[in-house]
Amino acid sequence: MAMTEPAIHLRGVSRRFGALQAVRDVNLAVMPGERRAVLGPNGAGKTTLFNTICGDFPPTSGTIALFGADITRLRPHRRTRLGIGRTYQTSLLFNGLTLLENLFVAVRGLRPNRFSFLRPGRGDDGMAKARELADRMRLSHLLDAEVMNLSHGQRRQLEVGMALAGDPRVLMLDEPAAGLSPGDRPELLNLIRGLPRTLTLILIEHDMDIALPAADVVTVMKDGEVVVEAPPNRIADDPVVQSIYLGGVH
Amino acid sequence: MRSAAATWSLLGVLALLALPWLLAQVLPAGQAQFWTANILGRAIVFGIIAMSLTFLATYGGFVSLAQMMIAGVAGYVLAIFVDGAVPRIVGGLGYSLAVPLGLVAATAMGLLVGAISVRTRDIYLLMITLALAMGVFRFVETNIAWFNGYEGIRNVVGPAMPGFDVRDPMVFYHVALGTAALLYFGVLYLVRSPFGLVLQGIRDNPRRVAALGYSVALHRIAAFGVAGFIAGCGGTLSTIYNIGISPGTIGLGATVNVLIMSVIGGLGHPVGAFIGSLIFTVFDTFAATIYDRDRFNTLIGLVFLVIVLVSPDGAIGIGARLRRLLAAGRR
Ligand SMILES: Nc1ncnc2c1ncn2[C@@H]1O[C@H](COP(=O)(O)OP(=O)(O)O)[C@@H](O)[C@H]1O
Ligand SMILES: [Mg+2]
Repeated sequence: MAMTEPAIHLRGVSRRFGALQAVRDVNLAVMPGERRAVLGPNGAGKTTLFNTICGDFPPTSGTIALFGADITRLRPHRRTRLGIGRTYQTSLLFNGLTLLENLFVAVRGLRPNRFSFLRPGRGDDGMAKARELADRMRLSHLLDAEVMNLSHGQRRQLEVGMALAGDPRVLMLDEPAAGLSPGDRPELLNLIRGLPRTLTLILIEHDMDIALPAADVVTVMKDGEVVVEAPPNRIADDPVVQSIYLGGVH
Repeated sequence: MRSAAATWSLLGVLALLALPWLLAQVLPAGQAQFWTANILGRAIVFGIIAMSLTFLATYGGFVSLAQMMIAGVAGYVLAIFVDGAVPRIVGGLGYSLAVPLGLVAATAMGLLVGAISVRTRDIYLLMITLALAMGVFRFVETNIAWFNGYEGIRNVVGPAMPGFDVRDPMVFYHVALGTAALLYFGVLYLVRSPFGLVLQGIRDNPRRVAALGYSVALHRIAAFGVAGFIAGCGGTLSTIYNIGISPGTIGLGATVNVLIMSVIGGLGHPVGAFIGSLIFTVFDTFAATIYDRDRFNTLIGLVFLVIVLVSPDGAIGIGARLRRLLAAGRR
């Protein structure tokens, strides 16, 4: 049997910001349908790694492939259209628009008629898709609420909904539960766990209690490098991980 | 909430339609006509120009100081091409062609200003649009062949047919009101279209808009084109109102006046432009009687300060505050 192509395949990926090497020589293969957690302390380079994959800050060296196709140099929205969806660590929503409009803008951006002076009609499929996404995120009761009036948890749910607008094959979530009160967390985590297995999921999360149960494989980063890659049950007592998380000297 | 605003706006337009008739019932004939033409009519015309600024600021977050200049482009093109203007520069066209030509020119100028300033924001956008406005102003003021320099072009009397003469204050008022209403409801329609939603997305989060696959530059330039068309409509009406156009119409003073109208009315909603222009026009007209002609700038400056200090979001912000107070009082 032929080997299946990884959904996301990074080879020797590095990213510099001036003198700072934020990501250093990362090799990573995430298989289709896999749940991958990326762990690591603040400043380890997790978000920067996402940015190289999504194209916001392409790598300064190395290559990135999506299901075998090279995407290293593509602009972010080209990658979105090829099937990468992402959320941002700090919400990047449109505060002055309603929840439905936020989702609609995310859906329309993928369609050829994205530049239009005509309001969507009753049967507009983009609008239907936006409603369906709101439904999936259990936000249907808030369609006309302005986003600036949503709770933090609702904003995080909306972020995931917008990332799903392009029916992505790979979904990347950057600390989706960050800043959520303990009471708000289960709702969001259940949503994430309920995502279909046809979707490949890469999740940044620095709370191990959340990351480990959700993951098939865990990647731990420190100072821009991947230091551990292992199944979740071997993470908690890995000596390197312990030294990072308990602040011990390694 | 939103449809309620549209309903109120519609009621407002109906009230404005009937207003000249009402004024005639309560005021002496001369006074009623003065209010209709010189205050309400003028306020509507300047309100249209101010709305082009408010549209860009409210929905795009762009403060453009080029809008008065763009209005002037429509006025000058009309004056250059229309028959009967003095001096005759090109002439040969009736109003039915010269007016659309002016609007096309204003829209093109809007697109050009949008394209030139497409990478700038905030104070830099303000400066670049001001520089463009002043550049055109200086050019027009010193060019005799096309713009008749300092004197400008006179005798742009406006179209007249039997039973329809825009020199009749009532007719002019209703033409201006109809134009303003069409543009106003057009803006309200547009801001909920994909174009308008993306424009607001650019205001809230340009990076995300680009990441979603939209061209930020295309939407920005188009927004300036739309605003250019709106300003052009105002410029056409003001040229007919003034029976001509001269460089002073697009000078620094006029440019700043449009900004003042927009700000005192409030940049939260297009209706602010009309409220601001009405307040401005009333003070402009009665400054002489209230205080002293030469002190108009002091007076409008004080009004500006008071409104902005009391309510940073202008007169419509004061309205919203009052409504909230009343609602809280009732509870
Ligand atoms: N756009 C940027 N410009 C300059 N430095 C950056 C930028 N983004 C991230 N960095 C730096 O790269 C390093 C890794 O940051 P980041 O990827 O955000 O870490 P993490 O998400 O793991 O907390 C940090 O030192 C950060 O300051
Ligand atoms: Mg991060």
